[in-house]
Amino acid sequence: MASKYLKNFLIYSTALVVISLLLIVWTAQLAPTLIRFVTLTGVPYVQVASINVTANGVFISLTVVNNGSLGFKPTGGWVEVMDTGQFGVVNETSRSLTAVVPLTSRWLSLGSVGVRGLINGYLNGNPAYIAFFDVIPVHVVNYIDVSGISYNDCVITVTLNASLVVPIVINTVSNMSLFTKYTAHYVFNTLTTYSINIKVPSGNHLVNLTIPIKSGPNVYAFSCSLSNNTTYVLYMPTIITYEFPNGNETTSRLFIYVFTYRGG
Amino acid sequence: MRLRVGYSYTSSRIGVVNVRLEAVIQLIIATSFVASWFVTPIWAIKGINYSIYLTPLGYVVIFFGNKALVPPPTVFAVWLFALDAGLVPIIWRRTRYPLYLSMILAVLSLTMLVDTVLFQQRYLQVRGYVTSPTPNGYIYVQLPHVSVFEVPFYILLALVVITVVNSVTGAKWTNVQVIIRRRKITGGNQLDIIKGVLDRVGVKYEDVDNGVRVGGTMVLLKGNSLILVKDSIETEVSLDVALAELVRAGADQLIRTAGDDYEGE
Repeated sequence: MASKYLKNFLIYSTALVVISLLLIVWTAQLAPTLIRFVTLTGVPYVQVASINVTANGVFISLTVVNNGSLGFKPTGGWVEVMDTGQFGVVNETSRSLTAVVPLTSRWLSLGSVGVRGLINGYLNGNPAYIAFFDVIPVHVVNYIDVSGISYNDCVITVTLNASLVVPIVINTVSNMSLFTKYTAHYVFNTLTTYSINIKVPSGNHLVNLTIPIKSGPNVYAFSCSLSNNTTYVLYMPTIITYEFPNGNETTSRLFIYVFTYRGG
Repeated sequence: MRLRVGYSYTSSRIGVVNVRLEAVIQLIIATSFVASWFVTPIWAIKGINYSIYLTPLGYVVIFFGNKALVPPPTVFAVWLFALDAGLVPIIWRRTRYPLYLSMILAVLSLTMLVDTVLFQQRYLQVRGYVTSPTPNGYIYVQLPHVSVFEVPFYILLALVVITVVNSVTGAKWTNVQVIIRRRKITGGNQLDIIKGVLDRVGVKYEDVDNGVRVGGTMVLLKGNSLILVKDSIETEVSLDVALAELVRAGADQLIRTAGDDYEGE
């Protein structure tokens, strides 16, 4: 016959097991009210900031927008230009993200392109990937500027540094003058138009414009050479025609070039 | 006096506690388990921006700076059961069943812990990543993490082991008896002196109206004199005789003492 202690023991232990089972069931029933769902808010994202078509390639620059407490630190990634099918690797240089894809003829006829990509990096220390897709206007950049001047025997040679996406024609130079910067003395002053008509193909080129300055009607040459250690200003309004595939575009361009002559 | 279930003692008379070292070790492990858990989480999933810590009050979830407490009821059972597993053999020592009961409590405590961890697996899912839409795409964040059991878990395992060992050996694997005695043994009147001495000697007695009783022997205080009641005969006795008679009446208790815990059926 079982003692009353064994009976007590059996009652206690059975009760404990039952309590445990009830707790498990209760916990399972309570679970949906205990937990709550939290998602990330104010997450950073990546935008295509600009697309610049240059003679050296198409530069796609991206920006990371951190609009909350979360901070994204990019380390690399890739982009794909949907309209040309080109892939580019994203390089991260001091807070700017840039991808370069080769310049193809298709770029010159595109008004805007779709760019998709993936940027990897760290979100508050966790590895993270940001995928994006943006449609962005294409900005064609034709660079041309004065890079050097020589003036001897009343002949001026202006060296233009051109980095062109499309071919151009330098048509005319009008009302060109050269004067000293601080004393405003003319070296020469022209009130006439010189016809240049030099065609520059696309790509990177140095172009020399050689113009003899002969005194005559509306042309005043006060000196035929430059003085040492003097600062001069070249003022050269120019008409340039850009030959885009879908038509020519003629614009005027004013070159102003300040330089100090240190010749021998 | 001894704390034994089944005896009618007044709670104010706890003067001496006489327990086995094995039971004390069990209590120490149980209390240090609970104490350490309030300091260190028992189980944790650690990541950079997503961490889950199991504390005695529930799961503390930290997600990108958001902090939340999720208290599944089973978590309270873990440490309440463990604490009981330590206390039961101290309170109930007459039979070997408290050892079994505390083993069941320790195992149930571990079971509740497993169930609580399962709660995390089921409802606080950690997939290792989180995705979220952005204005022009989406972001995918990896959440690398490690799961670790910490110190309190191993103390709980030790508690389970010690309760099993104590159940199997009858809590007799050391030969040490721990006696916790209250320093102050004498009180005001003669009756209090008698009670104090009986406590000290280790004779269990019953409080009766204005007197004490050990077995069939009773000493009553009437005025300033002590009346010994033995075999229905009342005799006025001195303090030393009264004490001697009470100790004699409790002699069989004294002989049985020292090592008879957890032996009865």
